[in-house]
Amino acid sequence: MRPEAGARRRGSIVWRVAAASLLIAGLAVTLLFAASWSTLRRGTSEALAATVTTDIAGLIDIHASGGERELLRRVADRKDVVSLEGRRPHYLVARANGTPLAGDIRVWPPLSAALSEQGYVTLAGGTPVYARAAKLGPDLQLLVAREYAQDRETMRRLTHIFLAVGAAIVLGVGAVAMLTARGLARRIDHVNANLRAAAEGYPAALESPGTPRDEIDELALQGARLLARQARLVRVQKHVSDHVAHEIRTPLMHLDARLAAALQERSEPGGSGTLTRSRADIRTIVAMLDSLLDIASNEGRRGDLAGLSELDLSALLTDVAALYEGSVEEAGLALETAIEPGVTMLAERMQIVRLVSNLLDNAIKYVPAGGTVRLALTHGPRIIIADDGPGIPPEDRARIFERFARSAGQVSQPGHGLGLALARAIAQRHGLVLRLDETARGACFVAEPET
Amino acid sequence: MASLNILYVEDDPLAASAVQALVTQGGDHLAWVQSGRAGLQRAAADRFDVIILDRMLPDLDGLTIVSRLRAAGIETPVLMLSALGRSENRIEGLDAGVDDYLAKPYEPQELLARVKALHRRSSGKVHGAVIIYGALECHLKARTAFRAGRHIALSPREFELFRYFMENAGETVTREMLLRDVWNMSFDPQTNVVDVNIGRLRRKLEDGFTTPALETIWGAGYRLTACE
Repeated sequence: MRPEAGARRRGSIVWRVAAASLLIAGLAVTLLFAASWSTLRRGTSEALAATVTTDIAGLIDIHASGGERELLRRVADRKDVVSLEGRRPHYLVARANGTPLAGDIRVWPPLSAALSEQGYVTLAGGTPVYARAAKLGPDLQLLVAREYAQDRETMRRLTHIFLAVGAAIVLGVGAVAMLTARGLARRIDHVNANLRAAAEGYPAALESPGTPRDEIDELALQGARLLARQARLVRVQKHVSDHVAHEIRTPLMHLDARLAAALQERSEPGGSGTLTRSRADIRTIVAMLDSLLDIASNEGRRGDLAGLSELDLSALLTDVAALYEGSVEEAGLALETAIEPGVTMLAERMQIVRLVSNLLDNAIKYVPAGGTVRLALTHGPRIIIADDGPGIPPEDRARIFERFARSAGQVSQPGHGLGLALARAIAQRHGLVLRLDETARGACFVAEPET
Repeated sequence: MASLNILYVEDDPLAASAVQALVTQGGDHLAWVQSGRAGLQRAAADRFDVIILDRMLPDLDGLTIVSRLRAAGIETPVLMLSALGRSENRIEGLDAGVDDYLAKPYEPQELLARVKALHRRSSGKVHGAVIIYGALECHLKARTAFRAGRHIALSPREFELFRYFMENAGETVTREMLLRDVWNMSFDPQTNVVDVNIGRLRRKLEDGFTTPALETIWGAGYRLTACE
């Protein structure tokens, strides 16, 4: 079964890009709002200060030129005038102790007339105003104030506008970012799915964009080139292997047929004559050639899931054990099996049989009569083929899986030292590691998933 | 058994003449074509019992031919005879729809045995409660074996082996057939593991008798004889 795109990914670029865009848009709108709000507030304060200062300066002039009575009369006249900006004025002319003489303010607010202080204060009636105080004489002080309710309304409206527009901007940016990121993710997923399929041995063809528009097109282009090159190499490797096999086997087949014909004319009793041995040699050469090509093919297909299917390993190893029961008994050995039921794996049935039979054959070949061969399978899957025979000498252990590697004890036995190399290559092709485990006696081969 | 009508697709004249001689010697008829396209046409035009197909042909690959035959609804059993004999090649062949795969070089007797076995398999087997062949009896329900009326004690696996031979009595049975049908194995481990099991069955069938019950066909397999 071909894997789904993105099945092995924990996060997606879509959410990261959308979250980052939302954050940046939110931050930008907030900063813009803070700057606008601060500018407007400063402008309002400056305008209020200018209005109040101008007004109080005029009244100071009036007091200077017309005296206290004139001032009181003018203040009385001004209290009902509303400026064009809509900022209602308030006045208070009072004695130094705060006793009011004119104006609509009854209580002197916390502003020092001696220091000509100005600022935002709340009048006794609860009206918020911007006010400025001035000392006109030793026992006379003046306060001019302006309401700023309209300015506050402007600020409130600005806030609402920013909230509404800002939210729309943030959501808009988020939506656009998500759509864009999804588009990108879809294109990257397509490239990824093809690269993953190719890496796992499934047929994959990535469309090569003619002229790359962006980095993803460039990625697809390089991926397509890589896949095409890989497919070409696999084809070449298979072509060479097949033709080497064909070109060697065909003359050997003709030679074998001639030997068989000669054997018919001149029978060799006991099957041990020159012609019979020559035919056996031909089969040995062919078997060795096949083993070498099989090792190369399995090594080349490491991690390649194509051709593998869900295999009931428990049932298969039970069948293999049944097949070997007779051989083990004939060799004077005992076969112990411990096969857990229900163990499955993605595998190629024929190759797993080869792996296990190679190891069982070795055990039967090298363990002296009276010994025990053990075949075990546990979940993992973990396949163990162990025996209590002479084991592998320590000096040979490092190289037993190499091609043509044979230890001193093996030289007298038939074979070419390719069985273990093939077994390991088959294990690797199935994502397993075949290793020689430490054991007190005999040899213990373990095949288990790579960690 | 009536003579078989066999189609052989092979581009190598030397290999073809060897098979031609072998098949006609046995009384069967062989139609030989040298190219894949000609093979496809003949297979579609005439009725054959078995098709022997070389894999590496100059015009069409043998695997493609099998796929096209199956796609066209032609179910004639196909034996692929190929110089590509690795397990990977066999898997490719079986996946493509061939019924049996034999690698070159091969034993002529094994080729014949496989062709006949393919034909037998496609014709169907006869099942009854008891199979009798010469002095041998196989009681399928009771799972017991007798020779000349004497009970032969067999293990369950040996009985399955005996039963298979009785079902194919008188015919050559190859190692691969035994592995596939008795041990459920699609692969020959290339060791003497089958011979050992046959040796054990043979000893039991022949213990106390003077005539052999199982005959070894060199390079091909085994055959049950109509013993006394």
